Order: sequence, then C-alpha cells, then structure tokens
Amino acid sequence: MKWQIDIEGTLSPLAILGAFFQKPNTIAYPTIKKTTATGYRGFHTNVLADCIGCANCQDVCMNDAIDMIKSDQEYNKKNASQCIPRIDYGRCCWCSLCTDVCPPDSLKLDEEYIGVSKHASDFIYMPKNK
Amino acid sequence: MQTPKHITIFHGPQHPGITGNMSVELDLMGETIQKATTHVGYLHRGFEKLIERRTVIQAFTIVCRICVPEPDPNEANFALAVEELAKMEVPVRAQYIRVLVLELSRLAAQFLWMAGQSGSIGLYAVGQWAIADRDLILDLFEELTGARVYHMYIYPGGVRRDLPEGFLQRVSKLMVYLKKRLKLYDDIFINNASFKNRAIGVGIIDASNALKQGFVGQVLRGCGIKADVRKDAPYLIYDKLEFEIPTQQAGDVYARALVRRAEMDQSIHILHQVIEQMPQGDIMLKMPTHRKFKLPKDDTWVKVESARGEFAYYMAGDGSEKIRRMQVRGPSLVHAYTLLEKLLVGAELSDVALIMNSLGICPPEIER
Repeated sequence: MKWQIDIEGTLSPLAILGAFFQKPNTIAYPTIKKTTATGYRGFHTNVLADCIGCANCQDVCMNDAIDMIKSDQEYNKKNASQCIPRIDYGRCCWCSLCTDVCPPDSLKLDEEYIGVSKHASDFIYMPKNK
Repeated sequence: MQTPKHITIFHGPQHPGITGNMSVELDLMGETIQKATTHVGYLHRGFEKLIERRTVIQAFTIVCRICVPEPDPNEANFALAVEELAKMEVPVRAQYIRVLVLELSRLAAQFLWMAGQSGSIGLYAVGQWAIADRDLILDLFEELTGARVYHMYIYPGGVRRDLPEGFLQRVSKLMVYLKKRLKLYDDIFINNASFKNRAIGVGIIDASNALKQGFVGQVLRGCGIKADVRKDAPYLIYDKLEFEIPTQQAGDVYARALVRRAEMDQSIHILHQVIEQMPQGDIMLKMPTHRKFKLPKDDTWVKVESARGEFAYYMAGDGSEKIRRMQVRGPSLVHAYTLLEKLLVGAELSDVALIMNSLGICPPEIER
C-alpha cells in the first residue's frame, strides 16, 4: 500500500477536539433516569373491570405467549368465561397485536419496561389491574 | 496445509470485525489471504418457514427481525406484497409516513455502518459518536412506534399509529442538527488521512460483472452504476420526491463510503420534503380480523431500496389466511458468498473487517 502525505486529511480530524466543549450524550443512570416516550410498548396492564375474557388476545398471539386462566381477582360481570389473560414474557415479543384486538380496550401496554427477578417463574406475568 | 508460513484461521463468528453471526475461514500465507470461505449457520432463524405457519397478520411481526440494523424495509416489503396481492390501496398519508419511517431507518442504518466501518480501522471515537447520533433517531422511533429497534409499525393496509403532536417539527429539528454533525463526521472520518490510506484501493469491485453477479446498493453505485429502486421502480410516493443517486467510479471501500455519506445527505433532503408535503387523512384501511383476512391464490414480487441495496420479497397466497410461500432476497447472500469470497483473495488480514463492513452484510438475512 502506498502512503501519501495528506496534510488536510491529517489536520481535519483535529476537529474532534471540539468535543471537549460539548455536553455528554450519556446520562448518569441511575441518578438520572431516562424518560420513556408516551405509548412505549412495555409491560401489559389489564383493566379487570372491563375485560370480558373473550380470548381474542390469546388467539392472535403468534408466539402462544398468552394463556387464559382462572384467577381469584374480581371479574367484570360480563366476563362469561371467568378467565383473564396471563403473559409469558419468555415468549412475548411486545408486538402489541393483543392490545389491537381487545374489544373493550382493557389490555394495554404500559410504559414500564424494567423487570428484575431472581426467579425464572416471574417470566409468567399477570398484567397489573390498572 | 499448515506450515510456519501458511495458516488457516476463522474470522468470526465471535469477532469484533465481523458483521453479525457468521464467519470467514481464511487461508493465509503470512498476512495475505490465499482463500476465503464464508460460513453461516450460527443463527438458525428460518423466517420463511415460520411465516408459512402463521396468519398474514401474525407473520407481520416476524419480518422486522430479518435485519436488526434496519427492520423497516422488511416491514415495508411485507406490507407492499400483501397489499398488492389483496389489491388494497393504502391512504396517501400512510404512504408519506412510511417514507418518513424508511428514510429515518436508512439514516439510522448508515450511522450504524459508520460506527462499524470506523471501528474496523480503530477510529473508535467516530463509532461512539455515530451510535449516540443514531440513538437520537431511535428516540423518534420510540415516540412514533412505541419501540426503538423492532418497530412493527408498517402494517398491511397502512401504519399502526398516527404521528404524535409536534413530531414533524422534532424530526425537522433533528435533521438540521444531524446535517451539522455530518460535516464533523467528514472531518474526523471521511476526510481523515487514516481512513483514506486504509480504504483507497482496497476491495476493488469490477463494474463489468457487478450487475451480472447480482450485486446491489453501494457495491454497484460505488463502481459507477446508477441503480436505485426508488428511481428505477418507484414505490410509495418516491416518484413525487426530488433526490439524487450518488455514485463513485473507483469501486473500492472508500468509494462505497463516499456513496453512503452522500446518501445520508439525500435522506435528510427527502425527509425535509416529506415533512413539507405531509397530507392529512386516514392512516389505515379498515382491516378484517386476522382469521378472516385471506390472500387470493396469486403471487407477487416486490422490492424496496434498503440502506444496503435492493431488498425484495416473493410472496404467494393460496386463498387461505396463511401465506403459502415467502422468499426474501436481500443483499447479504450474494455479497457474503459470491462477492466477499473473491474480494478477500489477495487482501491483507487487517483489511477483512474493513472490506466486510463496506459490503453491508447482515447474516440473519442469509439464514432467513
């Protein structure tokens, strides 16, 4: 390979020195937390007072991540099946198709997305009632 | 074959200079490559088969995973193929929003390329800056689609969400910022003597055979062939937009870098036009439920221009709610086998990462 003297090409990278006068791009986590955009697709929530147990969410889920299960929580009176969705986060891809097909719009995705647990069984997630 | 001078090594699958989960087996005589053999099979993703087993609407969530750096051309291709088979006319606003997303995705992918290309020769500051600037685009995607990387946004029949309030102003503001930043990237990367000395005259592609061999994208445009699906076979609203196809003649790594850099300017130019022309109206057709949405017995071939070149899908329906057959034709297969194996012969070992990064190879797309 033939090396040539390129004065402009040698001096132009010195523009990088301007970075000393710029603010950093990173944030000091966890002191400062990143704000999530409105409408971010995070964990599921389900308003039990509205959920009618129709299992549309289970039907549309391409990863079989949703099971309809009996729960001891208080149901909507119109919930004939008396079942509510439970999500397996080992399978879920957060595509949000389940929330798109929810007739009463009770199943939603929340902006919360950080989940830490010692137990693998916590991947099986019962959507918060809100 | 192993003598003190002649050795065989694997470049990848775990190597910072490899573009994803693949490897290149290199026969070396000293530092010079005598033979290169591409190996894939580290991903086992099988998208095409997965798609055949799901309904059309369910399959739409899979396609974005075919290429991590730029999932949106896959989503657009899938939606265009389904719409062509089902004879659906997408609302004009949705088409504009799709172009907005595709061009933002192209810019994000080019920043990621800049990070990889500069990292391959040790200019790590450029890489970190490029990733930080790409993140600003991902912030916009997060706001628009609800996700940063796998957007699952371009849906058959339109797009899933309308633009948030003030979104176009924020895109416009970011484009002004990025335009300024790109001048800085010119100084520290494109015009940098270290990069020029490493990239000029390396990985030269012969223009005479490039079209016959099926090469696409910057590989073609870097050796003087003006080929871009957005101009050659316009889709969505690209025929209403003004932009140029940058080309270079040299055919080497540096020429491909210059083409990519010029394309970033063109993407910003397109985005400004889209923001100005964005019409009001619907963003989605009324779609049936996923079990009732059926494709007719027909087939189609659609293509879009991704950040790495022409990206095409073949799709066949059989009258049911499932896709009978779908085939992905991206730039990676032909670039990783036909091109890379020949291009590396005679190159130096230290140039492998440099050459690979300039070709736009994405292994999940090979193992689709």
